[in-house]
Amino acid sequence: MSTLSQYSNTAEDSAWLKGVAGYTPEANIVDEMLDSTGKVRPHWEYFIQALQKLGHDEIRLRQNEILKLLRENGVTYNVYGDPDGSNRPWQLDPVPLLIENDEWTNIETGLLERAELLNLILADIYGPRELIQKGLLPVDLLFSHSGFLRACDKVKIPGKHQLVLYAADLARGPDNRMWVIGDRTQAPSGAGYALENRLAMSRVFPNIFRDSRVQRLDGFFQSLRNALQQIAPQNADTPRVVVLTPGPFNETFFEHAYLASHLGYPLVQGDDLTVRDGFVWLKSLNGLQRVDVIMRRVDDSFCDPLELREDSRLGVPGLLEVARRGNVTIANPLGSGVLESPGLLPFLPKIAEHFFGKQLRLPSAATWWCGQAKELNYVLSNLHKLVIKHICRGSMTSVFGHLLSQQQIIGLRDRIRSNPALFVGQAHESFSTAPSFVAGHLEPRQALLRCFLVAQGQGYSLMPGSLTRSAAQQGNVPVSNQMGAISKDTWVIGGQNPNQANTIETPHSKLLASNYTSTLSSRVAENLFWVGRYAERTEGSIRLLRTTVKKLYINPDINNPYYKNSLYAVLRGLTNITNTYPGFLNKESDSLLKTPDSELLSLMLDEEKVGSIANNQRSLIQAGYSVRNLWSSDTWRVMDEIKCHLERSQQLTESTLWNIQEHMDRLITALSAFSGLIMESMTRGNGWLFLDMGRRLERALLLISLLRSGFSSAQAEGTEILLMESLLDTSDNLICYRQHYRNSIELPSFIELLILDKNNPRSLAYQFNRIQEHVSKMPRKQTNTQLSIEERLILEANSLLDLTNLSDLIKVSDGNVREKFDQTLSRLYYLLATLSDTVTATYFQHGQPQHSLVAVKPA
Amino acid sequence: MHYKVTHVTQYDYSDTVGLSYNEARLMPRNCVNQQVISSTLNVEPYAADFRIREDFFGNRVAYFSIQQPHHVFTVTAVSEVQLMENTSQLDFYQGFAWETVREMLSQQHSHYLKQASDLIEARQYTLDSPLIETSLQLAEYAKPSFTQGRSVTDTVNDLMQRIYRDFTFDPDFTTLATPLASVLEHRRGVCQDFAHLAIGCLRSQGLAARYVSGYIETLPPQGEEKLVGADASHAWFSVYIPEQGWLDFDPTNNIIPNTQHITLGWGRDYGDIAPLKGVIFGGQNHELEVSVQVECLTN
Repeated sequence: MSTLSQYSNTAEDSAWLKGVAGYTPEANIVDEMLDSTGKVRPHWEYFIQALQKLGHDEIRLRQNEILKLLRENGVTYNVYGDPDGSNRPWQLDPVPLLIENDEWTNIETGLLERAELLNLILADIYGPRELIQKGLLPVDLLFSHSGFLRACDKVKIPGKHQLVLYAADLARGPDNRMWVIGDRTQAPSGAGYALENRLAMSRVFPNIFRDSRVQRLDGFFQSLRNALQQIAPQNADTPRVVVLTPGPFNETFFEHAYLASHLGYPLVQGDDLTVRDGFVWLKSLNGLQRVDVIMRRVDDSFCDPLELREDSRLGVPGLLEVARRGNVTIANPLGSGVLESPGLLPFLPKIAEHFFGKQLRLPSAATWWCGQAKELNYVLSNLHKLVIKHICRGSMTSVFGHLLSQQQIIGLRDRIRSNPALFVGQAHESFSTAPSFVAGHLEPRQALLRCFLVAQGQGYSLMPGSLTRSAAQQGNVPVSNQMGAISKDTWVIGGQNPNQANTIETPHSKLLASNYTSTLSSRVAENLFWVGRYAERTEGSIRLLRTTVKKLYINPDINNPYYKNSLYAVLRGLTNITNTYPGFLNKESDSLLKTPDSELLSLMLDEEKVGSIANNQRSLIQAGYSVRNLWSSDTWRVMDEIKCHLERSQQLTESTLWNIQEHMDRLITALSAFSGLIMESMTRGNGWLFLDMGRRLERALLLISLLRSGFSSAQAEGTEILLMESLLDTSDNLICYRQHYRNSIELPSFIELLILDKNNPRSLAYQFNRIQEHVSKMPRKQTNTQLSIEERLILEANSLLDLTNLSDLIKVSDGNVREKFDQTLSRLYYLLATLSDTVTATYFQHGQPQHSLVAVKPA
Repeated sequence: MHYKVTHVTQYDYSDTVGLSYNEARLMPRNCVNQQVISSTLNVEPYAADFRIREDFFGNRVAYFSIQQPHHVFTVTAVSEVQLMENTSQLDFYQGFAWETVREMLSQQHSHYLKQASDLIEARQYTLDSPLIETSLQLAEYAKPSFTQGRSVTDTVNDLMQRIYRDFTFDPDFTTLATPLASVLEHRRGVCQDFAHLAIGCLRSQGLAARYVSGYIETLPPQGEEKLVGADASHAWFSVYIPEQGWLDFDPTNNIIPNTQHITLGWGRDYGDIAPLKGVIFGGQNHELEVSVQVECLTN
């Protein structure tokens, strides 16, 4: 490998150097790397030289490495309306944005000041509203904004700041200064992605990163943790903080899960919380637990269906009233979204003068609010060169005047005229470009920085770095994640950062677990239980399918007269354990038994077929994804592999049983790795308990189905021997059997091994013992004197097995039926199914559906 | 005039409701010609959490939650109020022209300080609200009343009369979800629709108007026409007139409320002052029964 790459380096090096020389930013546009004379700026020199040394083949390799790392860590960004409905893998440019410390210090001063200003405005808007009385803020600007929530008036959170989290979008204007082009004050996203970008960069470019003296990010997350503790209500001793997410379908769900696990807080959805007696509670396995601080990622108006949007299913009814009483602190407080209005921008300078007696250090994008006659006229007559925005973010996508036809201009003009106070015009600036590594060379692309601040103690702290996004194309185009922007890490170079250390940033995954065992929400427990069940169900059915294919194609024992019947028995078993009736049990026709390929293929691949392997795989991934913050990074990687298998299997065209064998083997390996990791690396808390309970229950249920399907009616001995062989092979017990019994396969030994042997991890008795252990450790056990329902059920199942007489079990009565065998297994099945229902009813969420009361119309 | 109002709302659910969170705006507030003597709100079953506060508009709101399983939910509001008769004769032809009022409302700060804060307060009621969006159609309907230089009181009174004349009271036509445009098109509706309609018209001309929720006294049918809206919640609207304050109009009955209208509270539109809201868990279907009794205790 080394000779090869050295060889190619010499050949490619000159081309690569040319590539940098060919990096030509547009005239009149500031470039981050090159100064106006085309010289590399000093703080980029080391990095560019280092890149050149690597050579572009090597950079490409590392770029792939980055992608792989991000994908494996499950870094995704959901794109609404994506035909795949899938989680788009996060894109990271291997070239970071470099900012020199002196400039950063200036940005920091400017942003701290701006955060303080926005905080004062927020406190005033929901407080005395003096800015309006003094004429510094127009009535219409505030009162026509749908994000000004009247219900939140006078609601205050403890501490010096109302605005806890703040993010600002920055870009460098043509005047070479950094401009603030947008404020995020509701539930700013991106800090988690910035951290994940940093981890990837520092792993893939360890040397360059180390030698570049980059300021570290972890201090910011410590500040965030402190901030959230500090704002807890006065009466909370050790405040319980939760992260509230809209759920797995939200565009930035990855980040919610990531931050929750990085900060060590439970990740909850609206229906994990409930309001009782004037407080907010987490519905946990151990009952209700009080919540003191909510870091929310749910939009303002969705947080409380009682007082805000009544159609919201993402919130908690009564939440705002609890916040109003000061019994819970929500960060950011509800109603803070109004600060994101671009209509505020033209008024900031005067407001800053009012509060601080001076101008803001960082300018905002030049903005004209149409609620004033002069400004309206200006905007209407300059539409073609402005960007038009609605004052409520999300009400309308920004319109770029220069892209409009004459007809569209007229339409837009009418729209603005009909309610001018809702619109602003903004100057359309060409922001600076920074180098992006695209198709093997560097290209200048416009770049935006999102900077993150958090209020703690007396002031704000700024993350020394940012999430930079660069445009998807060259030229002057909007930069947005929804439109395929590529992210960059941001390196603040040099400076006296005391935290600076020449090490890779600490990975996060070890922070897991312990916190969760005490506050495991019912929803999380339920998901884990189903992860266990689906994982086992997928594995059980795919193992039997593999055995079937082997029997059909690889070594069909066609000379054996019992071959055909034993094959049929296996096929029927498949239908039975996957519950895909009628399948091979179709009594009308046995043609499927004779040509089973298409049914087998659909059992494997048809994602829409309930009970198919693909379908179970999908359910497993969904359950796993919604609790993704609980998985270690290794476990997540395996989960991702299972997902890749599913995606790949769905792309197979012209699949035959022959060519999906490798696919089956790989999937089985991945599933085994998954179980192995769970056994080896998951803390034995309540989470693990429910997961393993699910797995054991499922394994026992599958085995019972399979045994009843094969042996409840007696068949010719030869057929049964072949069938037993297949089943032993399926459950990985064939070798064990041979070692143990050293004879040909016989039903009594077979039953002993698969049903009664307490030491065989695939036997029924073994599953029962494990379930019994789990049941005894379940939370909320009422008394010690009385057994719980779960305990009674598993005790009965275990005793039934213990008292079973092997020879009774295999006795065949009239009509070739093994009566006792079938009765016993059927009773066991019933007991386990009831146990599963009881666990569900006792521990999981089965909340009643939420409705709004129908109101009476005044007549 | 001394009134006692008893307002009972009862929900019968077909399935158990485990939890219920509610907000009631059923307790009257004091205002210029109304003094609240007493007001109680009774909730069945027992509300584990109950608190009364003032909302953004100064209305009295009761927040409460029921945390025990129940099938029947009853809210009973009993209030006594004293209404002072407004004896000063309203002069329709004096006072500001409506254009002047519009001008004052759009330039709140250029006026002398004493009025400025009233104007600022009133200004928010010139803006669109969630249930009332101004439109060309509303502006057009309003137009004939807004003749040049007409006094604002006369203008609004004329608008009220036209609505009363042009629109048919029809409880079966609209629901809470019927948009204003449809009311305007079909010229039918109930008090809430007429109040919203009038407010929309006034705002489309730059005036400040708000929605008032309350009750109206039923007069005995002594050969007299019975007032519509009796024995139910009622609604009307109020207009801001500089130097006078807010003046009420009832377009459903074509009168300027004086001593028959009991005010609960007000907001930008119905959404701000709905008498009873709630979020429940469970319940499935329900039957709803409402009874309102307004008794005059004077005489």
